[in-house]
Amino acid sequence: MTTQLAVVFRTFAFILAALLLCALIFAAVGLSATETLQGVIEGALFRPRALDHVLRWALPLLITSVGVVICFRAGFFNIGAQGQFYMGAIAAAFAAEALRGTSPLVAVPLCLAAGMAGGALWALWPALLRVRAGADEVITTMMGNFIAALALVHVTSGPLKDPSGSGQATSSRPIDAAHRISETTGTSPVILATAVLVVLLGWWLTRRTAFGILSGLAGRNPSMVAWQGARVESIAISAFLFSGGLAGLAGSIELLGPNGRLASGFLPTHGFTAILIGLVSSLSVLATVVVALFFGALASAALYLPIVAGLPAAAIEIINASIALFITARADAVRGVLSRWRSRWKT
Amino acid sequence: MEDLIVAFLRSGTPIVYVALAGVIAQRAGVWNLGLEGLMIVGACATIVTIRLTGSLPLALAVAVLLCCALSALLWFVVEILKANQIIAGLGITGLGLGGTALALTAIFGSEAAVNAPFGLPRIGPAFGAFGGLSVLVALMPVLVFGTWLVLCRTRFGLRLSACGEHPFAARAIGVSPTLMRLWALLLGAPFCALAGAELAAGSLQMFSVNMTSGRGFMGFAAVIFGAGHPVGAALAAFFFAFAGALGIRAQLLYGDRVPSALLLALPYLATVAGLWLSARLGRRSTASGPNELGRL
Repeated sequence: MTTQLAVVFRTFAFILAALLLCALIFAAVGLSATETLQGVIEGALFRPRALDHVLRWALPLLITSVGVVICFRAGFFNIGAQGQFYMGAIAAAFAAEALRGTSPLVAVPLCLAAGMAGGALWALWPALLRVRAGADEVITTMMGNFIAALALVHVTSGPLKDPSGSGQATSSRPIDAAHRISETTGTSPVILATAVLVVLLGWWLTRRTAFGILSGLAGRNPSMVAWQGARVESIAISAFLFSGGLAGLAGSIELLGPNGRLASGFLPTHGFTAILIGLVSSLSVLATVVVALFFGALASAALYLPIVAGLPAAAIEIINASIALFITARADAVRGVLSRWRSRWKT
Repeated sequence: MEDLIVAFLRSGTPIVYVALAGVIAQRAGVWNLGLEGLMIVGACATIVTIRLTGSLPLALAVAVLLCCALSALLWFVVEILKANQIIAGLGITGLGLGGTALALTAIFGSEAAVNAPFGLPRIGPAFGAFGGLSVLVALMPVLVFGTWLVLCRTRFGLRLSACGEHPFAARAIGVSPTLMRLWALLLGAPFCALAGAELAAGSLQMFSVNMTSGRGFMGFAAVIFGAGHPVGAALAAFFFAFAGALGIRAQLLYGDRVPSALLLALPYLATVAGLWLSARLGRRSTASGPNELGRL
C-alpha cells in the first residue's frame, strides 16, 4: 500500500514540475501563467454542464488508453494509437455507409466491430515487423500514424467524399441519424457503458488471465518468459491487436457519437494523449479511469480557452507535452541527486 | 531531370542534418526522439527572428540557442531524472510542436503561416539550375564528412561512442557517460537548428505550424537504417527524400489516376521499408542500438 501511495505522490510531484515548466514557457511567450491556469481550471470544472464536456473527451480517451496500457505492459512501445484510431474510424465509416437505412440494433454493433477490426489490422503490421524481423516498433507505428492520416485525407476526399461539401474542408457524408450513439455534445449511456465494459474487461485481462500475467512479465523480462516456455510471439501480437482494436473502437465511437461524420485530420492529438494517460496511470487499467478524467478535463478546457479567455488552444498541448517529459522520471533518481548535492555541500 | 535532382536535394538536406544530430546522440547512448521538436523550433525561430529583426545571423543564433536549451532540458530529464528516453523525447517533440504554435499566436495573433522577407543565401546563378539551392545544401557534404571525422577519427568521438557501446568501459578510463551525453546532445542541437532553418528558409521562406510533418522522425529512422554511421545515415535520409521527391513527381504525372494522398505517403512507406530492411539484414545489434540505450 505504501509503495502505491509513493507512486501516486511521485506522479503528482512530477506533474507539478511539468506545470512549472509550462508556466515558464507561457511567461516566455508573454502569456500570464496564472491567468492561463485559471482559464484551464475554469474551462474544465466551472462552466455550465462541465461534467458532460469532460466525459465527452475522457471516455474515448479512456478506451484508447486501456489498449495502450495492455501493449506497454507487454513491453511494446505502440506509439501508433493515433493511426489505429483513424483506421478504426475509417473502417467504421465504410461500414456505416454500407449499412445506411438498416436498424440501429444491427448497424451500431457492426460499425463498432468494423472499427475494432480496422484498428487491430493497423496494429498488426508493426507487430509482425517487430516480431518476425525485429524492426523497431516505435518508428514503424509512428510512420503508421502519418500514413493513416494521409489515408484519412484520401478517404474523405475520394471514396467517401460528401458531394454537397465545399472543396476546402474534406469530410464524408453525415452518417445515418438513426445510427448516431450520442448528440454532438458527446455523452450518452451507450458510450458510458462501452467505456465501463472496456475498463472491466481490460482489468480482468491484465490481472486475472494468463495473458495478462505473462505479458506483464514479458514486458519486464522477455527472455525469462521465453525460457519458461510461454509463446512470446503470440503474446506480443495479441498485445498489439488488443491495443489497436481498442483505439479503433474509440475511433468508431467518435464517428458514431460526437462527430457524426468523418473529417480529415480530426482530433489529431487523441493518440498521444491516450499514451500519456497510460503512462501517468503507471500502466494500471483501473488508474486510467481517474487519469483519463484529468486529461479529459484538460481537453475540454482546450476548447474553452480560446472562446472565453482568448488564450490559444496550443497551451493544452504544452501542458500535455511537459507532463510527457517528466512523467517517467524516477523518484529514486531525484533522491540520488539530492543526496549527492548534500554530500557535496558537506565536504 | 535537373529539377528532379534539385527537388531531391532540397527535400533531403533537412533530413540529413537532423539525422546527423541523431547519429551523435545515438552513439553517445541516447535515443533522441525529440529531433522532430528541435527541428521545428529551429525552423520557427529562424523565420520569426528574420521577420522581427531582419538579421539572418541573429536568426540562426536564436535557433541554435533554443535548440541547445531544449537539448539540455532533455538531457537533464533523461540522464539526471532517469526518465524514459522515448517518452521524454516525445515530450520534447510535443513541446516543440505546441510551443511554436503558441509562439505564433502570441506574436502574430493567429496560427497562420508566417512569411519572411528573405531566407538563407543561395549558392548563386553560377550553378545554373542548382543556383536556387541554399548554401546549407552545399555545406551538407562537408558537415557529413566532418561529423564522420570527429566521431570516428578523434579521441573525443571514440570516447563518445564508447559511452553508448559500453559506458562502464568509458567510466573506467575516466570519462563520465552522463556528461558526455550532454556534449553529444549539445553538439547535435545546432544540426537540428540548421535542419529547421534549411526547411523553412532554404527555399520557402515561410513557417507554418507542424511544417516538419515527421521529418525529424524520418531522420531518426535514418539513424537506425544507416546503422548509426554518419555517412550511412545521410544516405538513408536521401533514400527517404528520394521517395518523397518521387511521390511529388508522380503526383504531377499520374495525379489523375493515382490518389495523391497515397503518393504523399511514399516517404513514410520508404521509412518503414528501410527499417524492415535494416532489421532483416542482420544488423540487429546496431538496429536496436548500443547496449546502453534504455527502454521502459
